Amino acid sequence: MSPALHLAATGHGFLSPTGVEIAFLLVGIATLGAAVLTVTTKQLVHAALWLVVALGGIAVEYLLLTAEFIAWVQVLIYVGSVVVLLLFGLMLTKAPIGPSPDADSGNRPAALAVAVAAAGLLVWVVVDAFRTTWIELDKGVQGSTAASGESLFRHWVLPFEALSVLLLAALVGAIVLSRKTAEPRDAQSGKEKR
Amino acid sequence: MNDVLDVALRLLALLLAFLVLPLLVGQTEHKVMAHMQGRLGPMYAGGFHGWAQLVADGVKFAQKEDVVPNGADRRIFQLAPAVALLPYLLVLVAIPVGPAEGAVGQVVDAGIFFVLAVMGVGVLGSLMAGWASANKFSLLGGLRTAAQLMAYELPMLLTAASVAMAAGTVSLPGILEAFEWWWVPWQIVGGVVFFTAGLAELQRPPFDAPIADSEIIFGAYTEYTGLRFALFLLAEYAGIVILCGLTTVLFLGGWHGPFADGLGWLWTLLKTAVLAFVVIWLRVSYPRLREDQLQRFAWTCLIPLSLAQIALTGVVKVVIS
Amino acid sequence: MGIPGSGLAKGLAVTLRTMTRKSHTAQYPDAQPELPPRTRGVIGLFEENCTVCMLCARECPDWCIYIDSHKETVPPAAPGGRERSRNVLDRFAIDFALCMYCGICIEVCPFDALFWSPEFEYAEEDIRDLTHERDKLREWMWTVPAPPALDPRAEEPKEIGAARKAADKLAAAEAAQAAAAAEAAQAETERASDTSDGPNGTNTSDGPNGPNASDGPSAGSGTDGNGAAT
Repeated sequence: MSPALHLAATGHGFLSPTGVEIAFLLVGIATLGAAVLTVTTKQLVHAALWLVVALGGIAVEYLLLTAEFIAWVQVLIYVGSVVVLLLFGLMLTKAPIGPSPDADSGNRPAALAVAVAAAGLLVWVVVDAFRTTWIELDKGVQGSTAASGESLFRHWVLPFEALSVLLLAALVGAIVLSRKTAEPRDAQSGKEKR
Repeated sequence: MNDVLDVALRLLALLLAFLVLPLLVGQTEHKVMAHMQGRLGPMYAGGFHGWAQLVADGVKFAQKEDVVPNGADRRIFQLAPAVALLPYLLVLVAIPVGPAEGAVGQVVDAGIFFVLAVMGVGVLGSLMAGWASANKFSLLGGLRTAAQLMAYELPMLLTAASVAMAAGTVSLPGILEAFEWWWVPWQIVGGVVFFTAGLAELQRPPFDAPIADSEIIFGAYTEYTGLRFALFLLAEYAGIVILCGLTTVLFLGGWHGPFADGLGWLWTLLKTAVLAFVVIWLRVSYPRLREDQLQRFAWTCLIPLSLAQIALTGVVKVVIS
Repeated sequence: MGIPGSGLAKGLAVTLRTMTRKSHTAQYPDAQPELPPRTRGVIGLFEENCTVCMLCARECPDWCIYIDSHKETVPPAAPGGRERSRNVLDRFAIDFALCMYCGICIEVCPFDALFWSPEFEYAEEDIRDLTHERDKLREWMWTVPAPPALDPRAEEPKEIGAARKAADKLAAAEAAQAAAAAEAAQAETERASDTSDGPNGTNTSDGPNGPNASDGPSAGSGTDGNGAAT
């Protein structure tokens, strides 16, 4: 047993979990299952809908960690917009009902490697960052909107702004990409002028 | 034990409101629409001016065969109405009715975000229905629904954020606590934008291109029959109630009014009812917007307006603080 | 135009105004509709007027009128006269499943035996039941409204003129006869008082008056028939 784990175990104990902890674990398992189904199902739209379940599960986890604001934003952005966008795209490409045989690509091993690496990185970062921090559920809400806002705009303003610049860059890039079709016409008109 | 009783009573009241208010709006729509078109509307069901028309409709829907098309994706097809309806039931929990402590189903800390997020989930039901029906009209309806949601979610969020800025909180009871009468003219543009965008998200006329019956039969709901179809309809009317209630709470001061201590709930209901009437009124008065007009209206009109409202809110907020 | 959005407001105003007004819904089974006087609901038969001339059946574009009849001989009106034959109607039926409500039969009937009735509630569950017989057609006759009044200062209908002429003639003849009778009575009394006086004058004047009076009704019916034909 590592010292950190030992500390955690002695502090609160794994062996007498509270109801919230059990719920957290169960929701986590369900979320993981949905996520696995998302990437393994052969039906495109089903994959998108399993993604909804997975993202919703994460939102529930946030809720259990008392970060209400983050949970609702998660639902609003990911379930309400990103998945809708995904479904929109799937519908535009006329996703078939039933399994699509060409849903598999040859990059499976590579994707798996990337996924495992990303998951490892995330787990390592989170574990390293929080170690044995414990949320006291009895002592009121600790992830309230006020608390989140304060820490976001006091301590983490720089990453926040950096992210917004990143998003802005993505936006500009999207506009540039979507305007690409206009170029040949310009060239043509240029030719005509000549 | 008392807590359990309290929760049970609250849930019962919510369920009752959820079942009664949409029917009330539906019946009003029948009658108001009829009279605006020089007709009488339902006159027979229930004896007095057709008051039980929607009950009769419900009985009729329950008797109908529940058909699932052969080529459809069975499970998603059957799940879609529930996904469309349940979010509205959840949202009802967070809307405060009166000034008292217990006049809201459950105080949600990030109320605005909760409400908007869950309402956005409801649209997933339409998308699922549109895709799973194995019908090109349904698919087109689903596509239009998605495009519309994408366009109108943003102005809705922005205007709600404007109110949150003004009040300094994102909790719905908190916003009502902080409300002053002069917020109405201050936030009026935001209110109009919010209401309009909400109409578009509910796919109510004149923003009903996703279910345009003259073009694509009934959009995503084309293949539905019986109770499942009734659930979609119920979701639409529940959506009207929620939208009007939210607009009331955010922009019209909810329970604020004369004798608010005793009659606060009445003020909320009254304002909601007036807004619901406006929803019906707009349906009768305006023709359906074309799909490109819908998109242009959202991106070139509503979003700039809502951004301007946020700027105004910010300026006023800085000036008065 | 002017203010932007005024058109939108106008649309709202129109619907709101309509809402406050009385609605136009006809509550038919609860309230009978007000039909215009020339409504083409169903065709009624005034069978007393029918002479079985068959014009209606022949002119009907749909051949939906069925007529059966037989001839009867009528004993002479006056003793020593000729026996007359008369058509008696046995069956008069209109198949309203075929009828297209053109009204040609009503137009061609020379004896005013067919009329438009505004009655319209005669739907049947079987198409064969839509062939209605004479008793039903006669019943519908009671629902035929009175003809609309003439325009003010309109010309008097010829039928009325002819009838009045006949009536005037009859009245004149009766008056003449009464005068003659009175004169004869006077002559009688005069003769009783003074037999030597010349009674011949009264006798000669009585001679032409007698047949004229008996001819009166027949001449009247003759002009009446003329009036109807024109």
